[in-house]
Amino acid sequence: MLWWAMLIGSGLITALVLGLLTAAVRNNGARRSERGWIWGWGLGFTGAVLVVLLGFSLWIGERMLARGDDALRVGAHAAQWEWRFTQPGPDGLPVQTVDTLYIPAGESFDVEITAQDVIHSFWVPQLGGKMDAIPGHQNLHRLRADTPGIYEGLCAEFCGIGHSFMRFTVVAYDPTGPIPDMSADLIPETRP
Amino acid sequence: MTVTRPMGDRDIAPNEPMFDPRADIAPNDTRRALSLHRELDRTWRDEPGWRGFFTSVNHGTIGLRFMVTSFVFFAIGGVLAMMIRAQLATRQGAFLDVDLYNQIFTMHGSIMMFLFAIPMLEGLALWLLPKILGARDMAFPRLSALGYWCYLFGGTVIVGSLLFGLAPDDGWFMYTPLSDRTHSPGVNADVWLLGVTFVEISAMAAAVEITVTILRCRAAHMPLTRMPLMGWYLLGTAVMMLVGFPPLILGSILLEVQRAFDWPFFDVARGGDPLLWQHLFWLFGHPEVYIIFLPAAGALSTIIPIMARTTILGYGAIVAAIAGLVFLSFGLWVHHMFTVGIPHMALAFFSAASALVAVPTAVQVFAWIGTMWDGKVSFRLPMLYVMGFFITFVMGGLTGVMLAMVPFNWQAHDTAFVTAHLHYVLVGGFVFPMLAAVSYWMPLICGRWRVRGLGESAFWLILIGFHGTFFLMHLTGLLGMPRRIAVYPNNPEWEWLNLISSIFGMIMSAGFALFAFDVIMQWMFGRRSRRNPWRAPTLDWAMPLPAPSYNFASLPGPRQADASALLPLARGEGLLPGAPRGFRETLVVEAGTGRPDHVAVLATSTWLPLLTSAAIGSFFAAMLVGLYWLAPLGMVLTLIAAWKWGAIMGTDRDHAPAAVAPGLTLPLHWQTRNTLARTGAIALLLADGTLYAALLFGVGFLSVVAPAWPAPPSTLVSLPVIAAAALALAAMALGLLASHRAEAQRSHASGAAWAGLGLAAALVALVALAVVGLGLDDPRRHARDALRGAILGFAVFHGVIAAMLALRSLRDAQTGRLSEVRRGAAPIWQMFQAFWLTTTAVSVALIAAQEVL
Amino acid sequence: MGWLWRALAGPILWAAMFSLVYALHGAGCNLGWQGRPVLGTDWHHMAMWLAWGAGLAAHGLILWLLPQGTGRPRQLIVLGAWIGLVSTLVTLFPVIATSTCL
Repeated sequence: MLWWAMLIGSGLITALVLGLLTAAVRNNGARRSERGWIWGWGLGFTGAVLVVLLGFSLWIGERMLARGDDALRVGAHAAQWEWRFTQPGPDGLPVQTVDTLYIPAGESFDVEITAQDVIHSFWVPQLGGKMDAIPGHQNLHRLRADTPGIYEGLCAEFCGIGHSFMRFTVVAYDPTGPIPDMSADLIPETRP
Repeated sequence: MTVTRPMGDRDIAPNEPMFDPRADIAPNDTRRALSLHRELDRTWRDEPGWRGFFTSVNHGTIGLRFMVTSFVFFAIGGVLAMMIRAQLATRQGAFLDVDLYNQIFTMHGSIMMFLFAIPMLEGLALWLLPKILGARDMAFPRLSALGYWCYLFGGTVIVGSLLFGLAPDDGWFMYTPLSDRTHSPGVNADVWLLGVTFVEISAMAAAVEITVTILRCRAAHMPLTRMPLMGWYLLGTAVMMLVGFPPLILGSILLEVQRAFDWPFFDVARGGDPLLWQHLFWLFGHPEVYIIFLPAAGALSTIIPIMARTTILGYGAIVAAIAGLVFLSFGLWVHHMFTVGIPHMALAFFSAASALVAVPTAVQVFAWIGTMWDGKVSFRLPMLYVMGFFITFVMGGLTGVMLAMVPFNWQAHDTAFVTAHLHYVLVGGFVFPMLAAVSYWMPLICGRWRVRGLGESAFWLILIGFHGTFFLMHLTGLLGMPRRIAVYPNNPEWEWLNLISSIFGMIMSAGFALFAFDVIMQWMFGRRSRRNPWRAPTLDWAMPLPAPSYNFASLPGPRQADASALLPLARGEGLLPGAPRGFRETLVVEAGTGRPDHVAVLATSTWLPLLTSAAIGSFFAAMLVGLYWLAPLGMVLTLIAAWKWGAIMGTDRDHAPAAVAPGLTLPLHWQTRNTLARTGAIALLLADGTLYAALLFGVGFLSVVAPAWPAPPSTLVSLPVIAAAALALAAMALGLLASHRAEAQRSHASGAAWAGLGLAAALVALVALAVVGLGLDDPRRHARDALRGAILGFAVFHGVIAAMLALRSLRDAQTGRLSEVRRGAAPIWQMFQAFWLTTTAVSVALIAAQEVL
Repeated sequence: MGWLWRALAGPILWAAMFSLVYALHGAGCNLGWQGRPVLGTDWHHMAMWLAWGAGLAAHGLILWLLPQGTGRPRQLIVLGAWIGLVSTLVTLFPVIATSTCL
């Protein structure tokens, strides 16, 4: 919604500025009006647009934060060049998988993002924003998949030779149905 | 639509003169312009042939050379961009392998930022400033040349590394840990860190010089409040460079030291933090965008009123907007780090600042539109590029506001959307205005008028090519394509967008090639331009075309207040006509009012800048190839070269004052205290202080944020170390006293004794610092200890400078360079001595606090 | 040149306040100040509110002390004072609007 508001607003402002520009080029009169141009357009108009936009975006940003409630926690550990995920397995105990994350659809979950070696970034474009994986830091990122399905994810921060291929998949399953078979992605030694 | 004739319609009646209307200076007697020209040209021109190429210090020569060289690097960066586009045109691009692709996109960004944009604006400033402010040269001509050679050598090494497959490949912002020794074992990252730091010497040199020139080398009685807006823009730029570059330089030094000697500033296991690099980098990196934008906006504020045959709307508001930009742009850097996991409130501070910074920008945009509204716009070639600026930059600014919004940033960060945004801002906000500037000032550069038709074709190719390449890239990014990937086999939906971008990219390249061709044609085959072809009022046009080596045969004053004084100035009616003493002389004014203060005698052609940059380069080369034991030799060579700079300054007799105008005689700079060198030292110390502040920020940041703290117990506190630190501080304080006494007693024999005492005190302090160094814990153990090593290194570095200046003062006294009116190097020594004492005292207090708490 | 420093007083104060509040925020989150209650809120908020309020008051003082008269130096002093105040007001208002350390 923020995006559409900004897109339409930007289109309108671009058109407005270019319109004013055209009018300015065509106008040959010598009417000096510093007040109108600088105070009206430069300060008044710009300031008003920005204040509204800023308030709106902070309000949205605030709602997207990961809070200390009882949302599901999964882990994403990035290394050159693979993702290791920790999530609840079929029997409810945590299991580790490589390059595929299984989460229930329809409920918010927090990803604990960590890195092994260099900086990576966890991003599933269809689910929302990205969050960096930084050695020595643990970042928490709240996401939600509204409908079951398979979502493509990728590393968004340049991380060396394998950066282009550091893809992963998020499988959002129906929480009322059975938990899907993860066996193909499990890391063998961590099998409970 | 466009006309290629020179402007001929109507003169611009300035409603606000550039000079103080209450001031007056009587004109000198009229002389023959030709004999004046010969007298001046003999003094000011470069030496003939190759010798002249290596020894020139003239701002006209050096400025042009900067611009031409930066265009060559622009072309190289452009070829790299085309290779990127060729690789991305299809999803299984096989044009480059991934390693080479990484080198190429890293080099594209690095070249365009550090080897094109910054040097281009430096070149424009060096070339233009003395002309538009009414001076004969920049304040420190040798420094211009030194900067150029550092730029050329450093740039050549950086680009040359590409030929050997050793080019940097960690992205142009070099994030650690990817760029550390473990993950980038090759020399590639060292090329970036050392090469860019070497090139930044030219940026710091230019920043000091631009600041001092604007403050002190304006025409007589041109107050700051009335100078051409270009002066304000470049003053803002230069101050931002003084404050903005030191964090990057510090970061590069720390990272190189980590790579070379394993001091763990950014190693998270030993108390470092990769986020410190990001902070230092973007603390430079975001102001950098405005450092690039401000000179371009200055060109727009100069060109638009002239193309519209009117004066700029809202001078005061624009100056305030520049001040607002200079400050606010230092409060934005974290918006490059919105996804590193910083709490929302901190993001909100920077989001709000990022939105707010759009206001002063908008004020300028509307002032320009209002100016055009007032006047009657004629569509010459520069005006086309100005239109290209408006179309492109407004969109870039709006996507910038979008990216300043945290939730949207989380989505678009590190995607092709950001790539598109930054190209809209940088090409719109820098390249288009620079193309306008080049086509506007070409007659002054080469004395010729351009060939019909080529320029317009180039403009349309560039404009269409640019928007065709980058507009769709916004969509590509929103569809999820991240930056810096080489192939995208599973994403066919991105392919047609990339293909279109690639095709239009080739069109844009053709446009730039045609632009270069047009400039060359104009230079070689254009017909002679008449004087002041745009009928502009500013002083840069108050001279014959092409601009002579000395700019003005006599300098402008209140009676020669705009370009219409071209003939009186050439006939010597202005101030300080000719070169009667055979010196390169220019007028120095009081910074605020522009009241004439003294006459500066500037340096003439010399090999010294070339040799000095070679000496500095030998240090960087030894570091680059890993011969660390050889690097101190480079330092010694640099010190010897630096000593030579002082050796050819100064004079051993009192000179008669210069006759500037009837009834106005002024002393030469040797016989005054408030010299250009003094103002320059203040500017340099501002940058130096910022470097120190950035180092303190590093200490604070790591202590609070880095995970592996508190550090292991230290063994630093011991009696010898405490005694040595106290001795060092006492010796520095004594040195400060000696530096003041040496100046006060300069005409007595005791002056030399004070200088000698100051030198001895500096040496004692250095020895004491060495003792402290022996007591330090192993800097490889923990970042705290590494930072203490860095702090000590900072103190030692400044101790060497203070000792050199004390030695200079001593030699001044011994060689008869001092007298009642000649003060030698002592005033500069005092400032550096005070800086050394203050920073060391703060460092000692900081380390003591770390030990106690 | 005195007028130039006067014109820059507001922006310089903004720079100081911005650095101070950002430092307080970073230090507070890492040292756990938000967990220490005081006067119905916590030390972290209290420190930032006090800094912000003091900064705004100082900006108000700069505006109060504006010189009389006309001319471009005075115009720049007035504009500088307002730029400083608006910058501090807008860039630091998140201290009363968003959550601190999430």
